[in-house]
Amino acid sequence: MSVAELKEKHAAATATVNSLRERLKQRRQLLLDTDVATYTKNQGRSPVNFSATDLVCCRTLQGHTGKVYALDWTPEKNWIVSASQDGRLIVWNALTSQKTHAIKLQCPWVMTCAFAPNGQSVACGGLDSACSVYTLSSQSDRDGNIPVSRILTGHKGYISCCQYVPDQETRLITSSGDQTCVLWDVTTGQRISIFGGEFPSGHTADVLSLSISSTNPNMFVSGSCDSTVRLWDLRIASRAVRTYHGHDGDVNAVRFFPDGLRFGSGSDDGTCRLFDMRTGHQLQVYARPDRNDDEIPTVTSVAFSISGRLMFAGYSNGDCYVWDTLIAEVVQNLGTLQNSHEGRISCLGLSGDGSALCTGSYDKNLKIWAFGGQRKVI
Amino acid sequence: MSKIKVGINLLKVINCGMLCNVKLLHFLNFILCSRSLLSLRLLLLLKPQGSDSIRPKRENTILICAPLDRKRRRIHSTRFQGVYTLRARERIPSNKTETTFNLDFLIWFYRENFSTMPALCYLLEGMGSSCSRSHSVNEANTEENLKAVEIDRRILQETKAEQHIHRLLLLGAGESGKSTIFKQIKLLFHTGFSEAELRSYTSVVHANVYQTIKILYDGSKELTQIESDSSKYVVSPDNKEKGERLSELGSRLDHPFVTKEITQDIMNLWQDAAIQETFSHGNMLQIPDCAQYFMDNLDRLSQPDYVPTKEDVLYARVRTSGVVEIQFSPVGESKKSGEVYKLYDVGGQRNERRKWIHLFEGVTAVIFCAAISEYDQTLFEDETKNRMMETKELFDWVLKQKCFEKTSFMLFLNKFDIFEKKVQKIPLSVCDWFKDYHPTTSGKQEVEHAYEFVKKKFEELYFQSSKPDRVDRVFKIYRTTALDQKLVKKTFKLVDETLRRRNLMEAGLL
Repeated sequence: MSVAELKEKHAAATATVNSLRERLKQRRQLLLDTDVATYTKNQGRSPVNFSATDLVCCRTLQGHTGKVYALDWTPEKNWIVSASQDGRLIVWNALTSQKTHAIKLQCPWVMTCAFAPNGQSVACGGLDSACSVYTLSSQSDRDGNIPVSRILTGHKGYISCCQYVPDQETRLITSSGDQTCVLWDVTTGQRISIFGGEFPSGHTADVLSLSISSTNPNMFVSGSCDSTVRLWDLRIASRAVRTYHGHDGDVNAVRFFPDGLRFGSGSDDGTCRLFDMRTGHQLQVYARPDRNDDEIPTVTSVAFSISGRLMFAGYSNGDCYVWDTLIAEVVQNLGTLQNSHEGRISCLGLSGDGSALCTGSYDKNLKIWAFGGQRKVI
Repeated sequence: MSKIKVGINLLKVINCGMLCNVKLLHFLNFILCSRSLLSLRLLLLLKPQGSDSIRPKRENTILICAPLDRKRRRIHSTRFQGVYTLRARERIPSNKTETTFNLDFLIWFYRENFSTMPALCYLLEGMGSSCSRSHSVNEANTEENLKAVEIDRRILQETKAEQHIHRLLLLGAGESGKSTIFKQIKLLFHTGFSEAELRSYTSVVHANVYQTIKILYDGSKELTQIESDSSKYVVSPDNKEKGERLSELGSRLDHPFVTKEITQDIMNLWQDAAIQETFSHGNMLQIPDCAQYFMDNLDRLSQPDYVPTKEDVLYARVRTSGVVEIQFSPVGESKKSGEVYKLYDVGGQRNERRKWIHLFEGVTAVIFCAAISEYDQTLFEDETKNRMMETKELFDWVLKQKCFEKTSFMLFLNKFDIFEKKVQKIPLSVCDWFKDYHPTTSGKQEVEHAYEFVKKKFEELYFQSSKPDRVDRVFKIYRTTALDQKLVKKTFKLVDETLRRRNLMEAGLL
């Protein structure tokens, strides 16, 4: 068979796949009769009461000399690790806002960082296509830097996100620009499984973020530049369990809902969406109320409050909307409050007990927001 | 200043022990000279010896303004008259009486723009409790605090040390010569390649040889199918078998070393008329530029004790993975004038550039490599797209990026040697972008004329793609042939000069 014939066959096959996809999409539309917001309003619920003093910026963590790209909390101790453009990882004590460790990385182009479940080590990755793990208790050398304990190599593209498997210090998952996610064994440095890559149901573009379910640590979702989110089972590497379509642009951030049955995603098209993990339906679209089409601020990061009633979304223009997840309305914009960030919000995360939110931004600072006054943590 | 309104940024509890004024001053000096805190004011509360807790009463409040004069420490106070000058041994007075202090104190930082009263109450609450807490758990906190201060000091030191390093980013489409420029810089200004590094390139060189011959052979088969005049691409029968075998070897990941027999086969195949014909019409295939060089040197490459020379390494092609960096200092006429540069090559990332390009915001200059000889070639990744158009789009995109608003651009029009030979045979107008080109003369002048045309096109593109407020950034075009070491050295000296001039201009000295 000649090259030209092969190309024709390929084009025909692609057309068939696309038409099948269209049919699937239409079928799904038929099955979906309402979205979360409409249903809730029909039930007579009203938006949660959230005023300007309910969430207050109580700490500003200064010390980075470059844009902050990523942050992560420890599950119990209330420490935060943040990665920034100046090539440093800084570990902060969130309560006293003091720095406990500062690690100068060998490759300054870092894009993500993660804390181990026991709080003893941090992992980071970036343009060097390798994930470096540092043990915080190890002896620092004469410059005061902690040496790297392990480097996980094998990816062929930049590492966009890394996360430890909950309650397991030895396993972590990384997502990369080479369109794959990999499960690593940290002690041996070997790849246990590769999700995507040669297998047909993997992502077809750079994978930008991942989130592991807290209720079922065997499942995780990954969001990618191909506008889809895929659900994977750690035990089955050969194919994605499910693919979620709906976004119109790169999916920058994904985060599981606290109950582990749904997840939220934020994308370059300026919207956040809530998907049901098991049925694959798109439950709700959270689109910004201001609609000017010159430059839609993109969603850079997403997090849920401990009950899931609130969804925090950070945007590229410095806004940080607090969405009421049920009613799909914005109840607060942290970007307009006192002491808010002056640049784009690149990352955010909730502490383990849900009482504080930390946001990191291109203005080189991190801010910790706590529920203040009479407001109880929801 | 009647009400002290506080916007909370940091809250530190420091215990410095008994009467250590010197330490206090050093500490204050460090804090106040630290860049990020320059705009802040300090509120210093002193606890006179014997009292158990601190309340922010007016009597023991001293306000210190930054920056402190290095020689004479001045403490301005809102509560006291006049100014107190503090020298190294002086004790910090309170209530105008000289008393020895147990220096338990709180240093509060606050910004000029104040926040509202509720925040103040919150702070006072927290402050009150932490004061009494600090009194009982002194030792534990001290270590943490000292550690934090040490970390700050180290960060400051490292940042200062790196300030004078200029960072350069190499960008360009695939195979535009970025890595070759990188290797040249390494040879010129760095220590060059060590023996071990040279040896490590042996397998790369051999792999390149296999790849070349495979592409040529497969290409000849493809051309017989596509081209109308296919007979000239048909390989002679005795070479056909060799071709098949070599093609199979070339597709494996681990190649055997190039031995004598294989060398003979490759030579025979290379000299076959059909293969030569394929090579000369190779613009549709992905023939690497090193093909001619490696084929010519095949004898030397196949020796059992072969170690690649520096030139071989320059020609060797391997896809770079991740980011590679090199720090070097082009030695000027006087040794002291050498600036320090760090060059980054990100060529190996085969993915969405827009997702990581913002990491490079703040580099001194972007060196954009464009191979001007590829106006008639198509992309490796997508054979329907012309390489020159791809370069044009990439250059346009890079110019428009927000993160490069203030970055200087050095455009290297690379592969001039190949361009010279090609432009006389294949007209520039085969590329859409250059379709309004009309050759006027021929020979050497023609080459110059063609080059000037291409240069002008790039300049036009630059001015089109730059917003009015950005047009001022430095933009220079250089003609290069990455393989010619002298030329690269000369070009780089010009780049160095341009950047130094820019530095002086920015510092206001020019």
